[in-house]
Amino acid sequence: MVEIQIDGRALCVPEGTTILEAAKRAGIEIPHFCFHSAFPPEGSCRMCLVEIEGQPKLELACSTAVRAGLKVLTASPPVAAARRDVLEMLLAEHPLDCPICDKAGECRLQDYYELHGRFSGSFKEAREKRAKLVRIGARLLLDRERCILCTRCIRFLAAYTGTAELGVFERGVRAEVGVFEDRRVDNPYSGNLVDLCPVGAITDGDFRFRTRTWFLDRKPSLCPKCGRGCSVFVDVVCGYPLPPGERRLFRIRPRENPDVNGSWICDIGRYAYRSDLTENRRTQAVLVRDGEEILVTATEALGRVIAAVKAADRAGRRERLAVVLNASLTNEELAAAKEIFIGGLGVGRLAFADPPADRADGRLLTAERVANARGAAGIGFAARDLDLKAWAGSTDALLVFGSHLLDHGRQEELGDALARIPFKALFAAHRNPLDKLMDVIVPVPLVAEKEGNLTNVDGRVQSFKPVWPAAGDSLAESAVFGRLREELG
Amino acid sequence: MINRVLSDAYPDGGLWRLEAYVGSGGYEAARKALGEMKPEAVIDEVKRASLRGRGGAGFPAGIKWSFVPRTTDKPVYVCVNADEGEPGTAKDRAILTHNPHAVLEGLLITAFAVGAHDAYIYIRGEYESLARRLEDAIREAREKGFLGTRAFGLDFRLDVAVHRGAGAYICGEETALLESIEGRRGEPRLKPPFPALVGLFQAPTVINNVETMASVPLIIRHGADWFVQQGLPRDGGTRVFTVSGAVVRPGLYELPLGTSLRELIFEHAGGLRPGRTLKAVIPGGLSAPLLRADEVDITLDFDSLSRCGSMLGSGAVIVLDDAASMLTVLNVIARFYAHESCGQCTPCRLGTAWIWKAASRLSAGQGGTHDLDQIVRVAGAIKGRTLCPMGDAAALPVIALVTKFRPELEAALHG
Amino acid sequence: MSLSLSAIALAKVDAARRRYPRPQAALLPVLQIIQAELGHIPVEAEAWAAATLGLPPVRVREVVTFYSLLRRRKPGRHIVQVCRNLSCTLNGAENLLSRLEEKWGVRPGETSADGRFSLLTVECLGNCPEAPCVQVDESDYGTVTAEALDEILGGLD
Repeated sequence: MVEIQIDGRALCVPEGTTILEAAKRAGIEIPHFCFHSAFPPEGSCRMCLVEIEGQPKLELACSTAVRAGLKVLTASPPVAAARRDVLEMLLAEHPLDCPICDKAGECRLQDYYELHGRFSGSFKEAREKRAKLVRIGARLLLDRERCILCTRCIRFLAAYTGTAELGVFERGVRAEVGVFEDRRVDNPYSGNLVDLCPVGAITDGDFRFRTRTWFLDRKPSLCPKCGRGCSVFVDVVCGYPLPPGERRLFRIRPRENPDVNGSWICDIGRYAYRSDLTENRRTQAVLVRDGEEILVTATEALGRVIAAVKAADRAGRRERLAVVLNASLTNEELAAAKEIFIGGLGVGRLAFADPPADRADGRLLTAERVANARGAAGIGFAARDLDLKAWAGSTDALLVFGSHLLDHGRQEELGDALARIPFKALFAAHRNPLDKLMDVIVPVPLVAEKEGNLTNVDGRVQSFKPVWPAAGDSLAESAVFGRLREELG
Repeated sequence: MINRVLSDAYPDGGLWRLEAYVGSGGYEAARKALGEMKPEAVIDEVKRASLRGRGGAGFPAGIKWSFVPRTTDKPVYVCVNADEGEPGTAKDRAILTHNPHAVLEGLLITAFAVGAHDAYIYIRGEYESLARRLEDAIREAREKGFLGTRAFGLDFRLDVAVHRGAGAYICGEETALLESIEGRRGEPRLKPPFPALVGLFQAPTVINNVETMASVPLIIRHGADWFVQQGLPRDGGTRVFTVSGAVVRPGLYELPLGTSLRELIFEHAGGLRPGRTLKAVIPGGLSAPLLRADEVDITLDFDSLSRCGSMLGSGAVIVLDDAASMLTVLNVIARFYAHESCGQCTPCRLGTAWIWKAASRLSAGQGGTHDLDQIVRVAGAIKGRTLCPMGDAAALPVIALVTKFRPELEAALHG
Repeated sequence: MSLSLSAIALAKVDAARRRYPRPQAALLPVLQIIQAELGHIPVEAEAWAAATLGLPPVRVREVVTFYSLLRRRKPGRHIVQVCRNLSCTLNGAENLLSRLEEKWGVRPGETSADGRFSLLTVECLGNCPEAPCVQVDESDYGTVTAEALDEILGGLD
C-alpha cells in the first residue's frame, strides 16, 4: 500500500494504482477523453494532466502510478489552465453542432467545457474541411468534424473485438478516422462504439434525431438474451415531450459492471432485445375462436385456464395435463412453477421450449440463449426435450409459457399436435404463427418489465426491477402462478 | 590513425572503404573491446568520456546504456538513429557517406556493452543512395568477419540490418523510430517505460544517433580521458557542426565542444556576405530557440546553450542576416511543425495547425499585433503539455522568435 | 487480390520478412519495394501487403497515409523534391518554386502535363550547407539556381 495526498487529502492505495484511479476512489473525477479503464493508458488527449508538488511539469493522471509521498493537485491554476487549453484547442476545430448533435447532454466535451472551460473562443482561422456523414457500419455514422481523435474506437476494435475495421489515416491536423475502402464495422459489439465515443463523432443511425438525451430516463435492468445477464440501462421517455400518457423505449446501453460485462454489451442485447421489447407485442388477453381473436380481460382469460386445469385435475387426469416452461423465467417464477406443477399437481409432462443454443462468441455472449438456465437447473428442472407430437394424443390441457414452440419442431407438425389437444393456453409476449391454434392467450411482460432474480452463467444471482409497468393487461408469470396457487390450493 | 568522427574522412578521404578504414586503425577498438574488455568496463569508459547524445537530446550515452538490464530473458537491440530530420542538419549524411565503418564499429562496441546481437540502422527514406553505401559497408564488414556470427572470431554475434524510413521527421524521436521499425505509424510512445527496458518489440533497446555511435570507437581507442580533453569535462569530444544560411562558407565543421559560436560562424564559416549584418542565429537546429545578434557570445556546448534558453541540439547552426524576414522565418517554422506533427496528442496536433494558420494569415497581410500574442499564447499551450518532445520543439522557437523580434514582426504586418 | 510483382521484387519481400522477428515490421520495406516497382502503392498492393503479412488492411492504409514518401497515386516519370525549409528558403527556394510554376507549369503536389515529373515540396533534405536543395529521384542537387533547375529538368526523359 502507498500513502499519497490528493488535493490535501491523505489516501492509502495499492501499489501500481494510477493517479486517476486513486483520485476516483477519493471521489475526485479527473477529466479525460482517451483513457478507458478497459484499455491500457493512451496518453494522447492530455486532458488528465495534473500537478505534482515539487515538479514544474504537469503529469498525466491516467498513466502515472502513485509513489510514496506523492502530493497531487488536481485543481491548481496550472492544471486549470492546461484543461482550458486542451478544451480550447479541441473546440477550435470542432463544429457548433450541439443543437443538432445526438450526443448533446451526454457529451464529454460539453460537460468538461461547463466544468473546466467557460472561456470565449478566439480561434479565427479556417477550420479543416472534413466529411460529416461517413457511413462506417450498418447503423454507425462517423462525423469527422466532431472527432477529437481520442482513438478509443480504434483501440476497441483492435483489442476487444480483434476485428480492426477502423484506423487513423494521414498525419497531424489532417489525421482522420476511417475504414479501408468499402469495409464496414461489422462485428457483434459494434454498438459499443457509440457509447465509447466521448463526443458525437460516432453515432447510432437508429437513434439519430429521435430524441434529446435529457428527456431520457435511464432505468437499470438486465439483458435476458443469453446466460451472461449483462447489466444494462434501458433509456425511456415517459410523458414530456411525448403526448400525455405515452411512453417510448429508445435505447438499451451497457451498465458498467466489472463482475459481469465490464463496459460492454453485445449487439443482440442492444438491438435485438430492444426489438423484442418494442415490436410485435401482445398487450391484451384474447380468446381464440375459429382462428379469430376475441378480446377479453386477463382475469377472464386466466379464469378459463384455471377452469381447464381444474377440470383435468378433477377427472383424475393429472397425467393429462402438460406444461411447457422457458428458461428465461425468474428464479421465483421457476420455483413457483415447480411447486405448483410438479409438487402440487404432479404434472407428468413438463418440458422447456427455448431458443436453441448457439456458439458462444468468446466474449459476453454465451452458448445458451436464455436468461436463467442456471436458475432452472438450480431449482431442479432437468433439461426436458419437448416432444409435442408424443403428447398430443393423450393430453387434455396444455399450458405454454413463452414464444419458442417453433424452435422445437416444424410449424406443420406442431400445428397438427396442437390441433389434437382439447385445451391450449399460451402465455407469451409476442405474436406467433401458432397463435391461431391456441384457445386462450394471456400477454406476459419481458424481463425489463418485471422484477425478480436471474442466475447467470457463472452462478451469479442478479436482482432486477421493472423499467416501467408492463403494458396493457400483461400479467407477469409470477402473478399467473400466484393465482394458480390460490385457486388450486 | 583516426581520431576524428568526420574530419579524417571528409571530403572524400576514402575511409568508407573497409581496407582504408582498417589501414588507418579502424576496427581495432572494437576488437579490443570485444576481446579484452568486459561489457561493464566499456560502459564505464563511455560514461567517463562524457559522451552526450548528438541527435538532439544530449543524454549521456554511457548512462543510457547502463539502464539496460544485465540479465533479461528478452533479446537486447541496438538502433542507430540515422533519421537526420532536424532542419539545418547535414552531419549524419556526411558521416554515413564518408565514414560508415566508424558507425559500424561504434555499433559493435555498443552492442557488446549492452548484450545486443541484432541491430537496426534506421535511415531516413530520402537518403536512398546512402542506404546502399551503408549496406555495402555492412557487407564488407561481414565478409571480413567483423560482423555476423563470430565477430573477430570471438563468441559474439552481431547482425545489422538497414531499415529505411519514408518521410516523417517525428521518426527521429526514439520511440517513434521504434514504432516505425515495427511497421506502424511513427507515433511516439508514452514514457515511462523507457526503451532501455521496453523498446523494440517490447525488448530492452538502446537507440543512439549516428554521430554518437561514430564517436564510440574513438573513446575505446584513445581512452575516456583523451576524449574529454577534446571537449569539456561534462561534454567530451568534438561535434560536427553544420553551418548554413547567410554565411560565405556553409558546410560541416568538426570542432571541440566549447568552441565559441563566433569562431564557428566568422572564422570557419567565413562570416556574412559583403554588406550584410548579423540578425539572428539558430544554434542547434530548427527546434532550438534562436539567439539575437547580441546573444551570440557563447560557447557551443550543452550547458552553455541551456543556460541561455536554447539548446545545442543537433549542432546545426543557421545564420540569419539582415536580409532575412522574420515573418518568413516564423512561417517556415510554423509550417514545418504543423506538417510533421504525428497528430496523436491534442496540443501538438491542433496547436501547431493553429499557429501555422495564423502565421499564414499574417503573411497574407490579414492580421494584427494581437495575432502575435495569440500565437505566443497557443505556443504556450503546447509547451510542456505534449506526449513527446516535439511539442516543445514546436513551441519554444516560436515563442523566442516572436518575443525577440516583436518590433520587426509588427512592422511587417503593416507593410 | 491480384498483384503482379517481379520475381526480384518478391525475393526482396522474402528477404525483408526474414530481417524481423515479427511480420508487421516488414511492412515499410515491403511497401517501399512495391513502390519502387510500380511507382506508387495502389489499393491492390495495400490488400496484398496486408494478406502477405497477416495484417488487417486498415493497418496498411494507416502506414501508407502517414509517411510523406509513400504515394497512393501514380506519379510522373520522375519525382522532383524541392526543400522549403529554413536554410533553403533563406537561399532562394521560393525562386525555384516560382520558376517551376511559371516556366514548367507545375505546382507542388502536381505532375507536369507531359507526365515527365511530379513536384513535391519537402521539409529538409539534410543537405543544408548546399541550400537551396533539390532531389530528383535519387540524385541530390545543391546550390540550385533557376537555370540549373531548368537544365536538370530538361535532361529528364
